[in-house]
Amino acid sequence: MPVFRWRETRSLLPDLEREFERLLEGVGFHVAGRGSGRSFPLLNLLEDADSYVVTAELPGHEAKEIEVTIVSGYLSIRGNRRPPAEAEEESFRRRERFHGPWQRRIQLPDRILEEQLRADYVAGILRVTLPKAPSGQPRQIAVNEGP
Amino acid sequence: MSDHEKGIAESGGLIRLADAASGNSPAESAPGLLFNPPIDIYETVDGLVLYADLPGVTAEDLDLQVQDKKLILFGRVARGQTAELVPIHQEYRTGDFLRSFILSDDVDHERIQARLTNGVLRIELPRAEKSKPRRIEVAQG
Repeated sequence: MPVFRWRETRSLLPDLEREFERLLEGVGFHVAGRGSGRSFPLLNLLEDADSYVVTAELPGHEAKEIEVTIVSGYLSIRGNRRPPAEAEEESFRRRERFHGPWQRRIQLPDRILEEQLRADYVAGILRVTLPKAPSGQPRQIAVNEGP
Repeated sequence: MSDHEKGIAESGGLIRLADAASGNSPAESAPGLLFNPPIDIYETVDGLVLYADLPGVTAEDLDLQVQDKKLILFGRVARGQTAELVPIHQEYRTGDFLRSFILSDDVDHERIQARLTNGVLRIELPRAEKSKPRRIEVAQG
């Protein structure tokens, strides 16, 4: 039974970095990861008879940091996902998650009751519920005859 | 497993990406979609910190295991929350998350800690105390 175990003296972490690089090259995956070239956050728009629902994958925020607004038929959400304060730029060994300020805008297909907008943030998923405005009575438009 | 992946598996490192995508993963038995969550790994004085985006996963639905040097994270996403709704525009699909890593002996397996907050998992992987030179007393007799 060996009493001593000789440890490798070379640094393990630069090695790790090279492995990651190789792996990333191998699968044709961009180092900047999911955030690059893709929208953040990803949105789904759904509906039922009474309302539209917009959901967004927004892990890693505080609810109060997510800004949700409606302006002339567009729902706008924005925020900023910061990297952990303790992480130094050069200490990253792998970086696939999106960081930075973001904004998404989605056009709502129909009139909604803006004052009844409701936003919930649970387990990193934002869910905005937008009740549809009841369709009004058909309104006859008088056509004026020109001079 | 390709030669390329073998190269990775054979070289040293504090943590290595394992073969979650191939072979006997729950992907083959579990119904539905399975995603590889994006991760960040950075180094601190104490070791490594790993972050993974797991939107829709709560602590009860997250399974984090260390077995035979393999760290496996599996997050189950609750389905059916939008089941009655009709999709109009879809950019993402909902599925479970799986990713695995191989830990070297330089990670102190006993002191691994994890926390899930707002759909983000943070795992602390403390570096094991480097073995100091130790003088072995030789008993007589």
